[in-house]
Amino acid sequence: MLRALADPHRREIVRLIQDTELPAGQIAAHFTLTQQAVSQHLTVLKRAGLLEERREGTRRLYRFQPASLEPVRAMLDEFWPDALQRLKRVVERDHPKRGAEGS
Amino acid sequence: MTEPVTASVRIAAPPEVVFPYFTDPALAVKWIANAAYLDARPGGTLAIDVRGNPARGEYLVVDPPHRVVFTWGIEGRQDFLPGSSTVEVVLQADGDESVVTLTHRDLPSEDYRRSHREGWGEFLGLLAERAGSSPA
Repeated sequence: MLRALADPHRREIVRLIQDTELPAGQIAAHFTLTQQAVSQHLTVLKRAGLLEERREGTRRLYRFQPASLEPVRAMLDEFWPDALQRLKRVVERDHPKRGAEGS
Repeated sequence: MTEPVTASVRIAAPPEVVFPYFTDPALAVKWIANAAYLDARPGGTLAIDVRGNPARGEYLVVDPPHRVVFTWGIEGRQDFLPGSSTVEVVLQADGDESVVTLTHRDLPSEDYRRSHREGWGEFLGLLAERAGSSPA
């Protein structure tokens, strides 16, 4: 999900549709990119769960999915458990228990 | 208020051995930081670079070998400024092992996102950079 946001154009798209639903053409009009390039960006964002696509006749409308971002929290949910696992490995390597090494 | 993030781990070493890894820069760099400046006394500065992100805070409680509390934020990140959240680490002895429990409180809330939209692009960029540099 975060990699989807690593691209400045995609971040700009998210900004455009964070409050409003827009058709693909109108999103593309904000960029100097080809419509195809914009469409690819939309696909990446959609796959990442960052936006919702709705069809209306032949038009496709996009809207940002705010629930998809639980940013800081989601990161820390992984960060601290990972960090503590590293702490465990480091401490146990630096301070092997006597007898545990079979020496 | 947002729910705290919690994490815990059991380590095969007593709290006396584990505690300094939260207060001694030479040990902190082994597990959490690329670089660390730690002045582990109440009011002292905690400055560590985590995957290129400048995490900054202040020690509030330094009670070896059982408890250390410090504030935590990322320098320059409007949604997560230094001092904005608090990390409490408790080390409990269990035989000759330790159970380390970490609680990260006062994390930014949803409301913040609604009221700081202008900063989003930058914020998302930082998030993405962090994610991009993670080993996963």
